[in-house]
Amino acid sequence: MTARELFEASGPVHPDVHLLRTEDGPRVLLADGSRLFGVGQALHDRLDAARRDPDPRVLDALLADLGVDAPRQIDDTTPDPPPVRALSLAVAQKCNLGCTYCYAQQGDFGGPAKNMPAATAFTAVDTLFRQAAPGERVNLAFLGGEPMMNRPVVRAATEYAEVVSGRTGVPVTFSITTNGTLLTPEDGEFFEDHAFAVTISLDGVGARHDLLRPHRDGLSSYQRIMDRVAPLLVAQRRMQVSARVTVTPLNLDLPRTLDEFTAAGFHGVGFSPMLSSPNGRGEMALADLEVMLDQMTACGEEFVRRVLAGRRYPFTNLATALREIHRGTHRPYPCGAGAGYLGVSADGDLAACHRFVGDEDGAMGDLAGGVDDVKRARWLTDRHVHRQEPCNGCWARYLCGGGCHHEVINRGRPACEYIRGWLHHCLTVYSRVLAARPDYFAG
Amino acid sequence: MSDDELRIHPLNLTAQIDHRAAGNPPSTLPESAISNAYPGLEFDIRNIWRRLLVGIELHEADNYVVDADADHERLKGRRLLAVAGHDVIGDLVGPTRPGADPGPLTSAVNPDGVMMLEWSNSLADVLADHAGETVTCLFTSGPAPNPVGKPAKVPDPSVEEVELEVRSLFAHSEAAGGPLPVIAEEMAGPGDLTRGLCSPWQNDYRECACYYWAASRPDYVNVELTGLGTSTGNHWFAKDREPREYVLDNRTDSRLVSYDDLFRDWQGRLRFIVGGDDAPEHVETEPGDR
Repeated sequence: MTARELFEASGPVHPDVHLLRTEDGPRVLLADGSRLFGVGQALHDRLDAARRDPDPRVLDALLADLGVDAPRQIDDTTPDPPPVRALSLAVAQKCNLGCTYCYAQQGDFGGPAKNMPAATAFTAVDTLFRQAAPGERVNLAFLGGEPMMNRPVVRAATEYAEVVSGRTGVPVTFSITTNGTLLTPEDGEFFEDHAFAVTISLDGVGARHDLLRPHRDGLSSYQRIMDRVAPLLVAQRRMQVSARVTVTPLNLDLPRTLDEFTAAGFHGVGFSPMLSSPNGRGEMALADLEVMLDQMTACGEEFVRRVLAGRRYPFTNLATALREIHRGTHRPYPCGAGAGYLGVSADGDLAACHRFVGDEDGAMGDLAGGVDDVKRARWLTDRHVHRQEPCNGCWARYLCGGGCHHEVINRGRPACEYIRGWLHHCLTVYSRVLAARPDYFAG
Repeated sequence: MSDDELRIHPLNLTAQIDHRAAGNPPSTLPESAISNAYPGLEFDIRNIWRRLLVGIELHEADNYVVDADADHERLKGRRLLAVAGHDVIGDLVGPTRPGADPGPLTSAVNPDGVMMLEWSNSLADVLADHAGETVTCLFTSGPAPNPVGKPAKVPDPSVEEVELEVRSLFAHSEAAGGPLPVIAEEMAGPGDLTRGLCSPWQNDYRECACYYWAASRPDYVNVELTGLGTSTGNHWFAKDREPREYVLDNRTDSRLVSYDDLFRDWQGRLRFIVGGDDAPEHVETEPGDR
C-alpha cells in the first residue's frame, strides 16, 4: 500500500475496533489488550457495520457473541508512581556539534554549558539503586549534550554503579547516546566490558548527515564519526552499537541509509521523525510524513523479504513493532518518562526524561530532596492517554500511547496519520510473518 | 449468521489469552481464577503442579507422592520435603491459647509441627530456574502418611535424595520452535484442571472456615437474650428453629444439615432469604409431578 492508501485505511472509525485487509485474510484489532484476530469476510463486514452503528449496543452484542468481551485491561485509573528503574544523566550539557533541530539547543538546553560533577553522578546512582527491589534490573543511561565531553564521569559513574550492583545484587545495564565524534578505541573497550547499548546519532549517509549534524564551525562530521565508530562495530559482542536517525525533510532517503548502516555493521538502525524543534527547523509536515511512510514501508518490504528467507535485517522500528504486536503490548503512556524513567541534569535536578532537562514542565524534584512523587503522580494523571485528545477516539492509542510527551507538549500531535499508517502497515506485516515464519516469534 | 461465519482466530498472545472459546462460560478466563491453596470455580490451578517432577505424581494440596512410574515405585506414599534447595514444608508456629506466646504447633499426628507450603509459592522458583533440568529432591526414606519435618542435616537415615527432572509448564511447538501459551499436556491432561472444582453451596459453604466468600456467614443465629443474662439461638446449620439450642458442629448429627443433604437439595435446604423474606418452605417435587 502507498502511504496515501495507508492514511486512508488506518483512519479512526471506532476507538475500540480497527479492521485490516491482508494477504492472509481480514484482520480485526481490538484496541483494549491490543488483541489481533483473523476473521472471515462476512464477519469483517458485520464488524464494520457494527462499529459504524450509532447504537453502541450493536457492537457490544457482537463482541460478546464472539467471546471477546473480556474485562477492560486499561481504565481511567492513574497507576501509582512505580519505583524508578532507569535514570539518564546529562553528564555534559554542551556539545561540539551544531545540529539544526536539537531539542537541547546545541547541548546546553538554553543555559550555560556545564559538566555534571562526579559526586552528582554518584548520588544519582545511589538514588537509582535505592528504589530497586531484589530481582529487578536497573538501567543507567548517559546523554547530553554530548556525554563523551565528560568522559571521566561516564567512566566513574559506570564503575561506581557496578560496585553498587555487586553490593546489592541488583543487576544494572548501561546505555549511552552519543554523536560519535569523540569516541576512542579505549571507549569501545570500556563499553564492551560493561555491555553498553551504544546509540550513535547519524542522520544519513555522507553529505545528508553533514547538512543536519555539522560541527559548530560548519565543518562536516560524517567521516570522522564513521572512522571513530568503526572499531566499536568490529568489537561489539556484549555491547550493541545502533544508529539513530532523526528524519527531517532533508534526509528522507531511508532505504539507502538503512542499507548503508546495515553494511557498516550496526546492530540496529532506527528512524524517528523530527516533530518538534526549539526553532521549528527540520520539523516534518504532513506531506513530508507521507514521503517518510512510503520510505518506511519500502524498508519494511526488504525486512520481510529477508526475514522470510531466514536472515536478519536490523530495521529496528519494524522489529520492535512486530515484537510488541506479538505480545499484545497495551499501555496508556508512550514511554516510561515521568514514571519509572527520569532524567538528571548536570546540576542534579530531576526531570520527566532527558528531553525535559531544565524544563519546568517536566520537573520531578532533585537528587538532594529526592524524587517528587506528588509531581510524578500529577504527571501520570495528566499524561494518561484517556485524557489526551484526539487519542480518546483512536484505535491506536494503546500501541502509540499518545506520542512523545516532549513533542506533544511543544507542538501537539502533527503525526497521527503517520503513526496510524505505520502501525497499520506493521499489523499487516505481522500477519504475513506469523503465517509464513511463526518461528520468528519463538522465544 | 452461521457459527462458521462467527469464527475468529486469535493471532497474537493477548488475543489467545483473553479469547473465550465458543461454548465456554465467562468464568473460564484466567483473570477469574483462584490460584491459592483452594480450588477455583472455573479451574483448579493447583493441578498443574502435580506432575512437575518427571516420574512421580504429587497430591495437589499435600507434599505426598500419590503415584510413581516403575522406576520410582519406591517413592509412592513418601513425602517430598525439598526441591533444588527450596523447602516445600514450613514450621507451624502460633499461640495455643489466647494471650499465650507463640510456639511450635505440634500434635499427635503432626509431631514435627510442619505444614506443606502451597505449590504455587514453594515451586514457582523451581519452575522458573530449572525447567528442563535435573534437580535434587529430598524425600522421606519411607512411607509417611502424616506430615514429617526435615532433619537438621542431610544426609540422614530418615531422608533420601533423588535426582528428578523438572518439566516445563508450557507446551513446546516444533513448528514455532518455542513455547506456546498453553499448558503442556504432560503437566495437566484433559480434565485435570477441572477435576475437584469448588462446589460452593454443596460443599464449601459448610466446609470453609476462612475468609472465602462461601464461608462469610454468622455461626450463631436467631439469638435472643434470656432473663438470666444468657442467650438462646441456633447453630447456623440447624435444620429446625425449635428447639432453640446450639448443637456442637458434627457432620453426622441429624439435627444439622449434612453434606448429603446439600448435595441432594442445596436449593431447598439452604432456604435463601429473598427480598428480605424467608424463602417459602421448600417442597420437593418428583420429576413426574411437573
